[in-house]
Amino acid sequence: MMMMKFLFMMIFMIPLCFMKNMFWLVQMMLFFMMFLFMNLNLNIMCFFNMSYMFYCDIISFGLILLSIWICSLMIMASESLFKLNFYFNFFLFNVIFLLIMLYLTFSVLNLLLFYFFFEASLIPTLLLIIGWGYQPERIQAGMYLLFYTLFGSLPLLMGIIYIFNDLNTMTIYFLKFFNMNMYLLYISMIFAFLVKMPMYFVHLWLPKAHVEAPVSGSMILAGIMLKLGGYGLLRVMIFLQEVNLKLNYIWIIISLVGGLFISMKCFCQVDMKSLIAYSSVAHMSMVIGGIMVMNYWGFIGSYILMISHGLCSSGMFCLANINYERLHSRSLYINSGMMNFMPSMSLWWFLLLSSNMAAPPSLNLLGEISLINSLVSWSNISMILLMMISFFSAGYSLYLYSYIQHGKYFQGLYSFYVGSSREYLLLFLHWFPLNMMILKVDFISIWF
Amino acid sequence: MNNNSNKMFFLFILFFSTLISISSNSWFGCWIGLEINLLSFIPLISNSKNLLSVETSLKYFLTQSLASINFLFMILIKFSLLKNFNMNNIISIMMNSSLLMKMGSAPFHFWFPNIVEGLSWMNNFMLMTWQKISPMILLSYYFNKNFLIFMIIMNLIIGSLGGLNQTSLRKLLAFSSINNLGWMIFSIMISENLWLFYFLIYSMMISMMISLFFLMNMYFMNQLFINNMNFFIKLNLLINFLSLGGLPPFMGFMPKWIIINFLLINKFYFLIFIFMMTSLIIIYYYIRIIYSSFMFNYFKMKWVNLLMKNNMSLINLSSFISISSMILSTFIFM
Repeated sequence: MMMMKFLFMMIFMIPLCFMKNMFWLVQMMLFFMMFLFMNLNLNIMCFFNMSYMFYCDIISFGLILLSIWICSLMIMASESLFKLNFYFNFFLFNVIFLLIMLYLTFSVLNLLLFYFFFEASLIPTLLLIIGWGYQPERIQAGMYLLFYTLFGSLPLLMGIIYIFNDLNTMTIYFLKFFNMNMYLLYISMIFAFLVKMPMYFVHLWLPKAHVEAPVSGSMILAGIMLKLGGYGLLRVMIFLQEVNLKLNYIWIIISLVGGLFISMKCFCQVDMKSLIAYSSVAHMSMVIGGIMVMNYWGFIGSYILMISHGLCSSGMFCLANINYERLHSRSLYINSGMMNFMPSMSLWWFLLLSSNMAAPPSLNLLGEISLINSLVSWSNISMILLMMISFFSAGYSLYLYSYIQHGKYFQGLYSFYVGSSREYLLLFLHWFPLNMMILKVDFISIWF
Repeated sequence: MNNNSNKMFFLFILFFSTLISISSNSWFGCWIGLEINLLSFIPLISNSKNLLSVETSLKYFLTQSLASINFLFMILIKFSLLKNFNMNNIISIMMNSSLLMKMGSAPFHFWFPNIVEGLSWMNNFMLMTWQKISPMILLSYYFNKNFLIFMIIMNLIIGSLGGLNQTSLRKLLAFSSINNLGWMIFSIMISENLWLFYFLIYSMMISMMISLFFLMNMYFMNQLFINNMNFFIKLNLLINFLSLGGLPPFMGFMPKWIIINFLLINKFYFLIFIFMMTSLIIIYYYIRIIYSSFMFNYFKMKWVNLLMKNNMSLINLSSFISISSMILSTFIFM
């Protein structure tokens, strides 16, 4: 009952998207829904608000909150679509449809329905990238996104139906009573989530998709779509624990070493969005490491890092878009010396990039500390990798900040205005939960 | 002959012939139904004023009559030589081969894209949907499981890889039809009910697409970009092709889901992997077709106008069905 009412609220926002001059009303309604959803009774130890096919758990509560938040900020960030009258009705419909699919992914009880909505959320993302993106390369980016994800998730469908035939249940709650000790099932179940996360060897879709997407597409991809993989891994590990303990070293090593390579590759990027995309891969590599180790600290750290990375990366993509809308370029050669023109925006660059490098008091810090704790408790050698990943993440965040803000500005600039209050509000709403939630972390980090 | 009453006559006989074939008590009756099917389909597709049409109907006649003769011969051999019900013998392989050739399934598929290229859209619709009914059901009466599984694999692979180099929309749909034949042959090995379910949904999706292409008079891929399609037509094209590819949340996901369920119940693990991967290749060339609906602005020719104002309700209804069946399919297991 409690979960269904939000679903109906979102469904009935769809006719609202097609009326005239309703752009800001839809965004306001999404904020309204966010505040309503926050007031659900949060019972930490179990599933709550169970109805016919919905439930809410501590993990899904946080991720649904994040998805509603990011979707409403997506609409706030895409005001240029509304001003230029570029199919904004269909854009609003796309955003609401995507939000419905994400909401349902995180809140259905049935594993097969989870898969159904997991796949269904790809279609509006694909439409966002190819429909509203800027460059011709977006076709290839859409292809890569769709096919990498589908290649991973078709074996997931096979695994889920195999589980159904074997256990006669697909309710996520009941899976904790079973132990599926099969290697092929294990690989087919987790491969989809590893592609989605993304892990190092199958990460190629992410830089393409994030760069070619418009700001709303980048925000939702970095904000939530990567976390679908993490959420899936957290759910699927329940019944795959025994096989995971034998095989997790493969994924941890691939993701940590890969995270190291990706962090070093960040220093070679010229495109701002590409740098932020690669930093997403590096953060997610630590998340994969944390989940695969299967300690309590690992799960906590990965969940906190998922939420904080969602807010932080999404905010950084907003910043990159703020620069792009003025200068029409994402290149670091052109976007330099911005402190001379937009000093207040320089503050927001600094705040969000300092959160990205896990400086206190951001939530990333807590996530990284928990993950470092869990990974080092698993093996001491991972200290070397984690040290270098954290160091390089500080390195490229400072590199991005310094190249954009300091230095001589590009002489070919004409004139643009400094920053509208909508943009400041957008960035504030990204930064505020990120840095203030650390004051009361127990509602996302104490699971029992 | 362009006379509509002639076509109606032959259409009636076409429908009746399939009913004869699937409801007969003896194999000889099945063969009679197949022959009448061939006899009544030829006048529907031949148009003596058009040379391509004549050539197509001649090719169709040759291949189908070869298959029918083969079928008759194998029936007679089975009656005279084999007195048991064991289906794992060479005669069942030969009978299945002749029926597969009638359907246009691999490895006897070489006539199928050729003939589909020569027919108009409505004739293609009959060829791809109705003409498959009687060979399929006859296949289910006496099939050789190992042979058919091998044929399924060949169907899937040829249907997916053959369409990669095509630009003609008819040939693309022909290869996708060959691929879907793979799914349908498997479903008929499980149960006729399952096949009927898959076949009905497949025919519905194909009919929506073919009616869209017919109304817009589009036969080639480059024509997709020069039309002035309005927004709902583009959306309909997008939804239908993604649905045919089997992507959630559209209707086309449901039959594939159920067949995967039966594949896993019967433990066909390698086969299901081939089903999955070939379906990815199929989705690739469907998406190549619907690029024009993804991208909102491209160069359009102003002088091409579509007389589609009278037919919009059908298109809207078909889009609505494709999307709303998602909601139905999520509640079907509660």
